[in-house]
Amino acid sequence: MTPVRGGYAVDVPTVNVSERARSEQATVLSTFRAFGVTLRRLFTSLVKRDMPTISYPEQQRNYSERFRGTHILTVRDDGSLKCVACYMCATICPAECIYIEAGEHPNPEIEKFPRRFDIDMMRCIYCGFCVDACPEEAIVMSREHHQAAYNRDETLYSIEKLIQRPGINAKGPGYRPNRPFAEAKLFNPKEKDACAYPSVTDERHPAVLYESMIQKRQ
Amino acid sequence: MPKVTINDQVYEAAAGRTIIQVADEFGVEIPRYCYHPDIGIEASCRMCLVEVEKLPKLVPACATPTTEGMIVRTNTARVQQAVRYAMEFLLLHHPIDCPVCDQSGECWLQDYYMEHAGHSSRYPGTQKTRRVKAVDLGPLVKLDRERCILCTRCVRFTRNVTKTGEIGVFNRGHAAEIAIHGDKSFDNPYSGNVVDICPVGALTSVDFRFKVRSWFLKETDSVCGGCSTGCNLRVDHSARALGGGIPGVTATEGTIYRTVGRRNTAVNKSWLCDEGRLSFHTLERWPRLRSARTRGTSASLDQIHQRFESIRREHGQAAVAALGSATNTNEALFLMKKYFQGRVDFRLGNETQTYQKQQDDLLRRLDKHPNTQGALDLGLAGSLNGLQGIVEAAERKQVRAMWIAFHPQLVGEDAPEILESLERLVRALDYSIVSTTHEFPWAANATVVLPMAAWAEETGTYTNYSGRIQIANRAVAPAGESLPLHTMMSQLLGFSGTQVSPDPAAIFDWMARETAAYSRMTYASIGPLGLETIKETVQ
Repeated sequence: MTPVRGGYAVDVPTVNVSERARSEQATVLSTFRAFGVTLRRLFTSLVKRDMPTISYPEQQRNYSERFRGTHILTVRDDGSLKCVACYMCATICPAECIYIEAGEHPNPEIEKFPRRFDIDMMRCIYCGFCVDACPEEAIVMSREHHQAAYNRDETLYSIEKLIQRPGINAKGPGYRPNRPFAEAKLFNPKEKDACAYPSVTDERHPAVLYESMIQKRQ
Repeated sequence: MPKVTINDQVYEAAAGRTIIQVADEFGVEIPRYCYHPDIGIEASCRMCLVEVEKLPKLVPACATPTTEGMIVRTNTARVQQAVRYAMEFLLLHHPIDCPVCDQSGECWLQDYYMEHAGHSSRYPGTQKTRRVKAVDLGPLVKLDRERCILCTRCVRFTRNVTKTGEIGVFNRGHAAEIAIHGDKSFDNPYSGNVVDICPVGALTSVDFRFKVRSWFLKETDSVCGGCSTGCNLRVDHSARALGGGIPGVTATEGTIYRTVGRRNTAVNKSWLCDEGRLSFHTLERWPRLRSARTRGTSASLDQIHQRFESIRREHGQAAVAALGSATNTNEALFLMKKYFQGRVDFRLGNETQTYQKQQDDLLRRLDKHPNTQGALDLGLAGSLNGLQGIVEAAERKQVRAMWIAFHPQLVGEDAPEILESLERLVRALDYSIVSTTHEFPWAANATVVLPMAAWAEETGTYTNYSGRIQIANRAVAPAGESLPLHTMMSQLLGFSGTQVSPDPAAIFDWMARETAAYSRMTYASIGPLGLETIKETVQ
């Protein structure tokens, strides 16, 4: 096989160099043109105060409200964790970085809560599947992403650190796609009396009537 | 033998069986909640409705006996609609709290909803009837009345199986609910079974509650090591390291989370006693022995073999013996018998007198060792006269070196006099190798203490009180450097010039060729439900 022009045995497609790059030949003139760019930028940042860089970490950018940063465990109005330790997040987690230990909640209406909820932030890949899987909107993501630490233990986030940590609320919450469902799930007390079948928390329920009857008798 | 046609397929059914029993026998799926083969028939859930030709209405398959020439259909549109309506009715007030429900993942409501219903509720979630949750029925069982579908399986279990009748259905109609008669506690010795048979999350086990979600569990068929009945059970253990690389919580050896009764009509039907069900917790009672402990000498099996040989040369064959126990597998005891040339005993207490005696009239037996019959079949009840005889022989210096393989009893406590005798034995011996599962104070004076795999950490066979040989499979990895006893014995035999595979199946096949009770058996022929051994015809 005779080698084609350029020395390649196979036909390599020609790289399409743009018109501008082809015109910019490496000459003395183009060197000074580059200095011109630098001088123009110096002028805009010094005189017009139009600077593309910021003084991180004193200054920080605002991210999108769908940013998948470090997790937050949300709490109920009384400050207790919303999480019911259903393990959906630990099940879906592709990095297997969530460790949960469930406990018996004193309130039988809540029934289950996490005694321990650890996320290994070094293993986490910030995919947001845990947030998607959560049926209670108990885990959401924040807009912060600082993971610098002096040792590995600090990157293992426990419940305390996942609920509250410095600067967690400064930027607002990040990725929380289940928000509309969580709001719709809220109990509507107006509908309660419209139901023909009373709930056991209602005094019309036969079990409650029976209880009160026995109590009166005693 | 009536001929029954189910879905255009003709089956020969045994006389007097109901449609669902015939369908189960031949593998035709009929959905059901209230029907369970071992507790009697109720026909209350209406899930097993089927169409029978010449009958105007649909009939419950669980309560309709088969007759000659009966033509049954389980897949017509009418049946499917009836099942869908039954599901909608059962789920009407269901709280759908699957995230906190322990049954989730193995719930029949979830399974049948996906398979047969798939409807969306016509009833607003905020108006569902709320009932009492997390009621303590007894030390092992919790009741959630919201999830209950009133199939009355638990009621029939207490009425027909344990005959104690603690649980009942109270009130009528919409107010009907499961409760305990009076203020008694539901604490009979078989109470854990209601959790197994509850098709929904209404009855949950206090012991297992919230430990782990069911889909993380891996299932291994095994046999209970708690007594000589040898109930079939399923060990549910961790399948993968939960929590990834989190230090201190990663399970690499595997953890047993629960045991569930496995149906075997020849042994335990579907039941387990509570002691046997919780017997895996015995393994957590003492600290596990994770590596060998020695008093100056080497712990390698090669060196141990050399010492045994030199003692044999010096003091004669009789100076070396071994003590197993009826908690060891047949394979381990057989290899032990081979290596110690028959000078092996297993009798610690009075297990040979009690192993066939019942503790109650359901399952439990007085002998808390799973393999007494197997050890007897191997002819290990010989001239050593049990633990007492060996202690006396050792104190008279007739026996100088011994291998003592000790498993703690999984149910109850080992008798203190047995532990005392073991301590005396270890003191009296010149050279003692103790292979055991946990750190026991009586073994402190032994020359070498070797870690041994415990129940559920090794594969092997047990022969139960009636002579049924059953396989107990390995569920989790042995703790630390522990090895199964049959592995250690096969290595010792290797040093003495007999090459033995450490595979329990190969050891069993060898044992079957040499033991009368297991003749014409192979490991493969035992199967998941065990095999009756050949009864000795010699009087």
